[in-house]
Amino acid sequence: MSHFSGILQLTDLDDFITPSQECIKPVKIDKSKSSGTGSKIKIQSDGSYVQLDEGGAIQPLQRVDISLTDCLACSGCITSAETVLITQQSQDEMMRIFNEKRKLIDSGQIAEAQFIVVSISMQPALSLAETFCIPPESALKKLTGYFKRLGADLVVDMNVADDFVLLEAQEEFIERYRMKADGSKSALPMLASSCPGWVCYAEKTHGSYILPYISTTKSPQQVMGSLVKNYLPQYLKDSNRPIYHVTVMPCYDKKLEASREDFFDSTTNTRDVDCVITAIELEQLILSERKNLAEEEEGELDWPFPGEKSTLHLTSSLGSGSGGYAHHIFLHAAKELFPDQQASLEFKALRNQDFQEVTLEKDGKVVLRFGIANGFRNIQNLVQKLKRNKCSYDYVEIMACPSGCLNGGAQIRPKDGTSPKEMISKLEALYRQLPLKAKPECNDAVNTLYDTLLGGRNSDKKKALLHTKYHALEKNSNALNIKW
Amino acid sequence: MKVLYVCPVEMAASGRLDLVDSLTGHRGRVWNVSWNPTGTVFASCGEDKTVRLWTKSSGQRTWMNKTVLTDGHQRTIREVAWSPCGNYLASASFDATTAIWDRKSGEFECNATLEGHENEVKSVCWAKSGNLLATCSRDKSVWVWETSEDDEYECAAVINAHSQDVKKVIWHPHDDILASSSYDNTIKLFREDISDNDWINCGTLASHESTVWGIAFDKTGTRLASCSDDKTVKIWQQYLPGNPEGVVTQSNEPTWKCVCTLSGYHSRVVYDIAWCHQTDLIATACGDDAIRVFKETPSSHKNQPEFELICTVHRAHTQDVNSVAWNPKEAGLLASAGDDSRVNLWQFKEETIIF
Repeated sequence: MSHFSGILQLTDLDDFITPSQECIKPVKIDKSKSSGTGSKIKIQSDGSYVQLDEGGAIQPLQRVDISLTDCLACSGCITSAETVLITQQSQDEMMRIFNEKRKLIDSGQIAEAQFIVVSISMQPALSLAETFCIPPESALKKLTGYFKRLGADLVVDMNVADDFVLLEAQEEFIERYRMKADGSKSALPMLASSCPGWVCYAEKTHGSYILPYISTTKSPQQVMGSLVKNYLPQYLKDSNRPIYHVTVMPCYDKKLEASREDFFDSTTNTRDVDCVITAIELEQLILSERKNLAEEEEGELDWPFPGEKSTLHLTSSLGSGSGGYAHHIFLHAAKELFPDQQASLEFKALRNQDFQEVTLEKDGKVVLRFGIANGFRNIQNLVQKLKRNKCSYDYVEIMACPSGCLNGGAQIRPKDGTSPKEMISKLEALYRQLPLKAKPECNDAVNTLYDTLLGGRNSDKKKALLHTKYHALEKNSNALNIKW
Repeated sequence: MKVLYVCPVEMAASGRLDLVDSLTGHRGRVWNVSWNPTGTVFASCGEDKTVRLWTKSSGQRTWMNKTVLTDGHQRTIREVAWSPCGNYLASASFDATTAIWDRKSGEFECNATLEGHENEVKSVCWAKSGNLLATCSRDKSVWVWETSEDDEYECAAVINAHSQDVKKVIWHPHDDILASSSYDNTIKLFREDISDNDWINCGTLASHESTVWGIAFDKTGTRLASCSDDKTVKIWQQYLPGNPEGVVTQSNEPTWKCVCTLSGYHSRVVYDIAWCHQTDLIATACGDDAIRVFKETPSSHKNQPEFELICTVHRAHTQDVNSVAWNPKEAGLLASAGDDSRVNLWQFKEETIIF
């Protein structure tokens, strides 16, 4: 059973697009030069394939390996077999890195060990807190303690990245709004880009119809990736030390996102995020040590950023548990574009709880219409409206999972009779109890990084580190795929 | 002097299907036939990407192709379905779309296209209430669409309960309960969960050993017939929670139990099944080119029903029979479609044979 979530694939959830029927990725075969008539292929008793050449010599044939990059570059299916992921993005791989590091340290080769950074997002921390019955802030600190025990050099929360994303997205919205006023047809609606399941689906299925509308702002995970790989060497004053970056995420699709070519640096041959680990996998790892997270020592989160260390690690926003994009950008846009109007954040549910909208009116006319669409059925309706030019939204926060990221596909499943719905409302309640975050504009670390690392708010470097591109995939229509 | 002797008399139900009409017009395979709710018109569709509407003028014996709907699809049309009001037609195509045709202008015109399936749409069906539509596809999903007053169609659910290609969707004759059958050998039932307006799988019927190609409810909606690649027909009986028979139910959902398997009658895959809501007869379309009619025996018991084969038309088509449909008003009138590009009409006549 594959584990992709939301729009891609999720077990026990009736709200996702399906995986492939069969992989249709064409495989390049290097023909042997000697054979004129073609050679024979035999299947051995152990299931391996061998080639018999004219002389009768046996040559083992190589198995075709489909990499995650192949899958992302192919329109054949939405996801691939899970085995594809296991090589790079698994708990085994993460543990291998930690163990390797320990061996190097034990043998005194500290200088050669990778510098390991772990970035923990809010949703899996809440999922683990609920599962192990620990208060959220304490769960995060115990998780920090766990990673430090494994050998992590730095453990950080995602607040700096979250704030960068909100600031960039709100600026992008204002810019797009003005482009629309100037006549641009593909400026609005702006569609949220932080859900990799949604982005992957849009690229594979709707290509050029939809991609121009998707916000170019990177997701918090990938902004964190940029910061870790571009800022930390400065901070460490060591540009040669290899950094291994682990993120802790609520969904498997984040693994796909981390594997995108766009986030691979060919000059250093590293990814901005090397390994994505999810709440479910962490639970398994902790339980496999026959431990309870509650027994773990609390660790202190690190603060490698400029300015004063933030004391609040887990925070909530007024908006959704998926990042609160719609709420935040709505308030910003209302203030910026219609300063005389009183904006109220009354989101009302439309067809279902997973499709909500909020409007700002001026003189009885709707001037801003924002939506939140969670889950595949609502995404479908939105996409179809967009295709038929009947979409009246200015911004839509889109997440592939019903109920958004708190219900991410790799959040820990409820046990002992709790229904998934009860679980979501528990996490939702935990989230609402978190302290409210300060305005991202007030984040001194972010403001300093704009000036120092990014070279200002309009620089090319800022664009490169905080924005990305999307790629439409050509549909591969092959007559061999027809089935009655 | 004649010798009189008494022999034991055995009576058996029997019947025959008389060919009423054999209609040409389609090029290539005809995949499906479907009667409108009043039984005055039927639609057929197939490989030639057209939907054809056939009617009989008053006083005429023969059925005429009055309308050909073209340009709705780019690939084979696999199935066509009428809305309960008879004013809309839905056509499901291998081009991954479902077209909605209405006759507001007097003639049927395609006025909406439902997009969303990844690939071939295999079946489409309108719920009795008229504002829900279901489709299914090779992409393994079943979709429920909601129609609004302004003829907008919105996706109400995408259900991924099957693990393989979904072949057929049908609605319960009275309630908003949906049934689907699949290449994964199962039939699944779905209903709306009122708490969050999502659709949930409320039953899985497993017993067939291969693809379930067709399913049909009886007129009460408490029985379901299914036909399969395993050459059998199965009858499923619904048992409500707390049923007197003591059949176990789970989470307050009815259990559907296979109470009868008809094997040995079909020599190849059974592609379609139709349960007549007037006569209670079951007709099957088979890959051995035959149409068969089954009838429940009078002494049959609810929990162990018996059905007998009362009629077989060998070479009903010269190739595979793909679809059978009973006229909803005219008892015994059956339409069939085949790979031989024909649509045939049959009249069933019951006769009692005395041995």
